[in-house]
Amino acid sequence: MSKKIGFFICHCGINIASTVDIKELMDYAKTLDGVVVSQDYKYMCSDVGANLIKDSIKKHKLDGVVIACCSPRMHEHTFRGVVEAGGINAFNLEIANIREQCSWAHKDKYLATEKAKALVRGAIAKAKLLESLETSKIDVTPEALVIGGGIAGIQVALDLAEEGHKVYLVEKSPSIGGRMAQLDKTFPTLDCSSCILTPKMMEVANHSNIELLSYSEVIGIDGSIGNYIVKVKKKARFVNMDKCTGCGDCMVACRLKDRIPSEFNEGMGMRSAIYMPFPQAVPLKCTIDAQNCLMLTRGKCGTEPLCVEACEADAIDFKQKDEEVEINVGAIVLATGYDLLDPTSLYEYGYARSDDVITSLEMERLISSSGPTGGEIIRPSNGEKPKSITYILCIGSRDETECPWCCRIGCMSALKHVYLLKEKLGDDVEINVCYTDIRSFGKGYEEFYRKIRGMRTNFFRGRPSEVRNAGDHLTIDIFDTTTNTL
Amino acid sequence: MGIVDLTSMGESQVKLRSEINERLSRLKDEISDYCFQCGKCTSGCEAHKLLELEPHKIVALLKQGLIDEMVNSDVIWTCMSCFKCRERCPQKVAPVEILFALKNMAVASGKQIPGNYTAMLQSVLSIGLLQDVKSVTTRDNKTISRSDLNLPKVSKPTDPTKFQMMLSKLAVEKV
Amino acid sequence: MKKYVLYPGCVMPTEQYAYEMSIREVLPLLNIKLVDLEGFSCCGEPIKSVNQMLSLALSARNIALAEKEGLDIFAPCPMCHLALSESKRILDSELGMNEKINKFLADEGLSYTGKVDIVNTLDLLHDIVGVDKIKELVKKPLKELKVATHYGCHLIRPSEIGRPDDSENPQKMEKILEAIGAKPLDYPEKLDCCGGLLTANLPDSALTKTGQKLQKVQEQGFDAFIDICPWCHRQYDSKQTKAGEIVAAKLEVPVFYLTQLLGISFGISKDKLGLDLNLSPVDKLNLGGK
Repeated sequence: MSKKIGFFICHCGINIASTVDIKELMDYAKTLDGVVVSQDYKYMCSDVGANLIKDSIKKHKLDGVVIACCSPRMHEHTFRGVVEAGGINAFNLEIANIREQCSWAHKDKYLATEKAKALVRGAIAKAKLLESLETSKIDVTPEALVIGGGIAGIQVALDLAEEGHKVYLVEKSPSIGGRMAQLDKTFPTLDCSSCILTPKMMEVANHSNIELLSYSEVIGIDGSIGNYIVKVKKKARFVNMDKCTGCGDCMVACRLKDRIPSEFNEGMGMRSAIYMPFPQAVPLKCTIDAQNCLMLTRGKCGTEPLCVEACEADAIDFKQKDEEVEINVGAIVLATGYDLLDPTSLYEYGYARSDDVITSLEMERLISSSGPTGGEIIRPSNGEKPKSITYILCIGSRDETECPWCCRIGCMSALKHVYLLKEKLGDDVEINVCYTDIRSFGKGYEEFYRKIRGMRTNFFRGRPSEVRNAGDHLTIDIFDTTTNTL
Repeated sequence: MGIVDLTSMGESQVKLRSEINERLSRLKDEISDYCFQCGKCTSGCEAHKLLELEPHKIVALLKQGLIDEMVNSDVIWTCMSCFKCRERCPQKVAPVEILFALKNMAVASGKQIPGNYTAMLQSVLSIGLLQDVKSVTTRDNKTISRSDLNLPKVSKPTDPTKFQMMLSKLAVEKV
Repeated sequence: MKKYVLYPGCVMPTEQYAYEMSIREVLPLLNIKLVDLEGFSCCGEPIKSVNQMLSLALSARNIALAEKEGLDIFAPCPMCHLALSESKRILDSELGMNEKINKFLADEGLSYTGKVDIVNTLDLLHDIVGVDKIKELVKKPLKELKVATHYGCHLIRPSEIGRPDDSENPQKMEKILEAIGAKPLDYPEKLDCCGGLLTANLPDSALTKTGQKLQKVQEQGFDAFIDICPWCHRQYDSKQTKAGEIVAAKLEVPVFYLTQLLGISFGISKDKLGLDLNLSPVDKLNLGGK
């Protein structure tokens, strides 16, 4: 049965009409096999346009509709409704995008019209092959998966759980908390980061609707929208979660105590092979680092593993294996957070050459009273109090060779540090900030910037080319564009 | 035909200058627009530490179209071509390339070329090398030349006339 | 046995004889045969400030001459190496320029086709010969001599077009020096420029840069300063006294070409390596034998 196709072309004001020859296109369509009517209107998506299509369907007994107009992303949904209202199945509609893919992309009228003809020809050929389809409703699994247990993941999980949905929160490290747990204070309010975060972490742990899968990773996603089948690997902690009380005796006893760089402390402090990332971890359970633990890597730890000896709850279990579980969810939220750029690639700044060149997260750990130095600011190279601290902003960002974008938080983060450092060290320490622009764009940000400007900090507008070692300290040459001096 | 034609100190080479102008405006559109004046180039510039060169300023002036001022200045000749600015710029702007174009323009506009460049150019013209074989003094004050050292003859253009012809054609050709 | 056309440039064959001597002594021992060609001219890099097109054509001409022999080019001077490599890159990627230049070259019966590669002393020694082969030939290791390496600017920058070593942390000279028994150490001024190109119009400023760096090297107690470029060596060695005067310091730093030090460790006699041509106090070190 040959189909009767109706062809409708939209001028879209002058968006299409000024480049594509509408009349020629209409006439051309009429010559194509299957097309019984060819009509145009200035704004096909309007009520008038819609009625034009509906009337035409009834009058000419059309069983297929082709509309040459803007991108289907704009109005395919609308036009499907129009076609259905006109009396034929909504899926007998095909759209030829002669705006975004034609009139907006080209200037030459003749060539654009030729291209539009080709697009229309294709659409009409496809329309002849379209079949009627029925939409059906499928139930969405009312459970959700949140990947990432930082503050964003935690908040989403809580919001969804409060709505009454069951939420699986998967976090790859042994504890939730993420970057916010590593911060001392937040900007611009200078709130204590843990004070905001920890209550939420507790809520997650205790919420009846949240199942926390910590030290776990998503390893496969199958299914379809609304009905995902997700495989999660629960990594072996080698510690029985039901028995462990989180007392921490094992960490103190471990043979490798203070020998392994702590990830939570950004390598500024050390931990044992059996560890908790930080004292307020949720869940408050220990984990054994399988890459370093002597028992797990070499098969023996002295005569007897010291952690087993120390553990009164008998919670250590070296025989544990990774477990794979499958969960069924209707929605997945990715909240995997961020990593800091490794400044080693910008070798000129000396990150690899000197211990005294550190990243902002590393400084954050020094500032934090729960950090490796108990909140004392010391030079990583020799443990002494620094005489001057210089911040260089925009390392690796707004940089065509690294990340072309602006990180958005660097300026404010640095200003926050200046405040906290001044608070701790007073005016004994000279603080310099080398910036390219200070982007203090949010609510309260500019006021915060003003406050820091009033705190005897040296602001240099310029970017240093390199950081040099000079005996026991560092020298930085910076050309300050505000004073035009080096 | 001599150095005068090559360095256009006689009459101004209008065609040559307009071609260098084209090169400069291409540099202006392609790179100087992207400079956001962070100053990293000047912070690390080898010449800036001693002399008055400020690469980021050169880029800014080019963006403003102030080519004549720069071409007529002495500061453009202080660049050491160390390429540190090009290496470290986060936007891949290369002040050193702009400076080469400006220096070329200065020469093509009939400006006096500073220092030894004239002699080097003249030497390349006549024997193909920047300088001819020299006698050197040893650490214990003897004088030695290349021929004393059992080294093969220096490689030079075998047909100087043809070589010079090629050079002279080039000097008036567009850049 | 790998063969290369030797492209000597201008400064090495007319003035910096020690570099050429040490290259001709050392490379054959490492199975590298150097072929001398007639007809080369200046690479054009030092006169790029005068006319860039001229420089491009000069480099292209030199490459075309080597292409006639069908051999890769060995350019010991890093400035020449940069000029030739950059010209090759331009001519290989820009068709219009390629045609234009070849029209000029046709006058002398030459044509650039882009068939040959260009190497410098550093990548030849480290990448092609290899540190292990160098180690095998060492007869007189250098007794842990504390040395400062100077790569210069054109050897390692601009990194975008591919240079023989890394632009921020070059280590190939260090590896070679360790293989011959020296002890290279890092120092903050390692990547500073010698000022060589400024000699043309601001010779005193050039010498200031030279003297400043040598001063720092001396202060840090280095036994020797190793370079690999005739322009740099001319500043640091041949003009060390003058540089010292300009920065008001007594400079007594022994300065060697990398290839000279290699030759010493291989047991080659000092006069064959041109060591009496070094004007810096190289005798201080009592290296090698007669």
